[in-house]
Amino acid sequence: MTSAAFIVLLAATLTGYWLNRRAAREIRARGERLHSLTTYHGLFAALSVLVPVLVVILAWLLLQGPVIDRIVLSGLPDEAIANLDVNERSLILSEIKSIASGRVFGTPEEWKLAAADRLNDLRNLSGWLMVAVSALLSAVILFVTRRRVSAGFRARDAVERIVSGLMIFCSLVAIFTTIGIVLALVFETSKFLSMVPLTEFLFGLNWEPQIPIREGQIAAEGAFGWVPVLVGTLVITVVALTFAVPVGLFTAIYLNEFASPRLRAVAKPVLEILAGVPTVVYGFFAILVVAPAIRSFGASLGIPVSPNTALAAGGVMGVMLIPFISSFADDALSAVPRALRDGALALGATRAETMLNVLFPAAIPGIVGGVLLAVSRAIGETMIVVMAAGLIAKLTINPLDSVTTITVQIVTLLIGDTSFDNPKTLAAFALGMMLFIVTLLINVLALRIVRKYREIYD
Amino acid sequence: MVDMAAMGTTMKDMHQTDRNPTMTEPKISAKNVNVFYGETHAIKDVTVDIADKTVTAFIGPSGCGKSTFLRCLNRMNDTIDIARVQGTILLDGQDIYDPRIDPVQLRAQVGMVFQKPNPFPKSIYDNVAYGPRIHGMAANKAELDDIVESSLRRAALWNEVKDRLDAPGTGLSGGQQQRLCIARAIATSPEVLLMDEPCSALDPIATAQVEELIDELRANYSVVIVTHSMQQAARVSQKTAFFHLGQLVEFGDTGEIFTNPRDPRTESYITGRIG
Repeated sequence: MTSAAFIVLLAATLTGYWLNRRAAREIRARGERLHSLTTYHGLFAALSVLVPVLVVILAWLLLQGPVIDRIVLSGLPDEAIANLDVNERSLILSEIKSIASGRVFGTPEEWKLAAADRLNDLRNLSGWLMVAVSALLSAVILFVTRRRVSAGFRARDAVERIVSGLMIFCSLVAIFTTIGIVLALVFETSKFLSMVPLTEFLFGLNWEPQIPIREGQIAAEGAFGWVPVLVGTLVITVVALTFAVPVGLFTAIYLNEFASPRLRAVAKPVLEILAGVPTVVYGFFAILVVAPAIRSFGASLGIPVSPNTALAAGGVMGVMLIPFISSFADDALSAVPRALRDGALALGATRAETMLNVLFPAAIPGIVGGVLLAVSRAIGETMIVVMAAGLIAKLTINPLDSVTTITVQIVTLLIGDTSFDNPKTLAAFALGMMLFIVTLLINVLALRIVRKYREIYD
Repeated sequence: MVDMAAMGTTMKDMHQTDRNPTMTEPKISAKNVNVFYGETHAIKDVTVDIADKTVTAFIGPSGCGKSTFLRCLNRMNDTIDIARVQGTILLDGQDIYDPRIDPVQLRAQVGMVFQKPNPFPKSIYDNVAYGPRIHGMAANKAELDDIVESSLRRAALWNEVKDRLDAPGTGLSGGQQQRLCIARAIATSPEVLLMDEPCSALDPIATAQVEELIDELRANYSVVIVTHSMQQAARVSQKTAFFHLGQLVEFGDTGEIFTNPRDPRTESYITGRIG
C-alpha cells in the first residue's frame, strides 16, 4: 500500500506541475504579461502538493504501527491480559504479529489467531485509508492551486518561500539531531551516575566493567574508574602525534617552499589518497605488520613487548594523521603574505632561514589549530585502536605495553549481551559523554586559535 | 609642446638636490636586459648604468616594467618560477647572474625596500637584527646592539623607538614601519639600496620623512627608487630613467629629463598625457 501512496504522490506532483504550467502558458498566449515564468507556476503547484502530502504519508507510516497495536491489544479478551505487565504484553503482541505474518509456532490459543486476523485487517484498512487520504488531499490541493494561476500571481515568490522553508528544515535536522544525541547521552549518563558515584567514575584508578548481568554468571566485581582508560587514550594520542606532527610539518614545509612544481603535482594527490584510506585498513596494517615488527624488534633487544602495543596503534594512527596535519600546515604557510617572504629573501636570507625564522612563526597559530583538530581526531579514532590496541585497562604510560582507549571500551561494552539497566552498558554512555566533552573542548580551543590567526592578516 | 617656463617654476618650488653627480665607474651596469614572464616580454633590451652615491629614479606608467627591472638588480625575480632574465647585469664589474654568484649573498649587498611596509611579526630589535644575524655580522650582543642602534639612527627612527625595542614591529604606524624596513635593509651594510615605491602606502608627512632619509642615504649608498610620483622623482633623484611598455625610453640627469626631455613619449608622460 505504501508504494501505491507514493505513486499517487508522484502522479499528483507531476500533474500539478503540468496543469499549472499549461494554464500559465494559456494566459501568456492570450497576450497578458505574467509576473512569473510559466515554470514557476508549475513548480508552485508541484511543491504545494509534494510537501504536505509527503508529510501526511510519512506521519501515517510512523503512527499507524503504535495505533494498530493499541487497537489490537484493547480488543484482546480481558481474562487473557488482565494480570500482565508491560513486558509480557509486548511479548504477546510480538507473537500475534508473527502469526499475522504467517509464522505460526506450535498451537496458539484461539484468541491469538483471531487477534492476528484483526491485525491483518487493520493493516490493510490503514493502508487503503492512507492511499485514499493522500489522493483526496492531492486533489484538493491541485484544485486550489490551479485556481490561483493568474497573470498577477507571484508564483516565483511563492516557490522561493517554499524552498527557503525547506532549507531551514534541512538545517534544523542537523541541529535537532545534535541536541537529541546530547540529550540521550546526558540522560543515560545520569542513569549511570545514579548507580556509580561520580567521584568513583572520575577519579577511580580501576576499570573492570565486566560485571555479571545475569545471576550465576562468572565475572569480575566491577570497577568504573575512567582514569586508566583516559591515560591509555592519551598515551596513544601522544604516540600518534609525536609521529604525525614532525612528519606532517616537514611534509608541508617541503611541499610549500622547496618542492618543484612537478613533484608537488604528484605528492599532493598521493597525500590525499593517504587521507582517503579507510581506517579499518590502517587497523589491520597495524595488527598484522607493525605490531609483530615492533615485537620482534623488541625481542632482539631483549625488551619485553606485549602483543598489542600502544606504539603500534599510535604509530599507525600517526600515519593516518599525516595528511591531515600537512594539509592544514600547508594552508597556514600559504596564507602568510608574500610580502613577508620577499622581505626576508631580499635581506639575503636563504629559503630555509626564511621558512624557519619568518614563515613558520607567522603560520604557527594556524598550525596549532590544525594540530589540535588532529588531537581530537586521534582521541575519537576507533577502528585502528579496536583492532590494534588492547582491551584491558592498565594504568601505564609505557608505549610498549598494552593499553585501552575510551572508544575501544565503548565498543566492547556495547557488543554482545547488553541490557540497559546495568552499569556495564550505561558506562559506555558515560564514556561517550566524556569523549564528547573532551573533543568539544579541544575543538573550541582549536577554532578560537584559528580564528584569532585569521584576524592578523585580514 | 611643454610649457618650459611653467615646468621650470614648478621645479624651483621643489626641494632641488644636487644635479651634478660625479660620473665615475658605474656601480651597476645593465646591458641588453630582457625579462620574460612566461610568454610575456616584460623588459625589452634595457641598457642602463647606475652611479654610486647617487639616487636614481625609475618612473613610468603602471605596468611599464620599472619594478620588474628593479627586481632584476638583486635577483628577486629568481623567486618567481615563470620569470626568465637575459642579458648582463654587472655589480662592480661582476656579473650578478654568473652561476658562481650566490643570490643570497648578492641580496645582502643589494638591499631592498618594498612598496608596502612588511615588518616581520617580531620585535623592532629583532626586525633590524635579522639581517646581521643571518649573515653573522656581529660577534656578540654588544656589536649587534651597535648595528641595530646605528641602523635605526640612520633610518631616523631611533628616537621614536629607543624605549620600546621589544615592542612588535607591526605595532608601529605606517611611516614608522617603512622606516623600520629601511633600517632593516641598511643593517646588512648593503652597497646598493633598491626601493620599490617606498612611499606609495604612506601619508604626506611620512613621505616627507622617508624622502629626507633617502637624500641622506645617498652619502653612503647607491639608491635606486621606483616611483609613481614625478614630483618625488624630481625631489629626491639626481638621475631619472623613464620606462614605457617595457623599454627604457630615456635616461639622464633628473633636471634634464623634467625640463628638457628629448623623447616625445617622456614629454607626454611628465606633462600628464600618458600613464
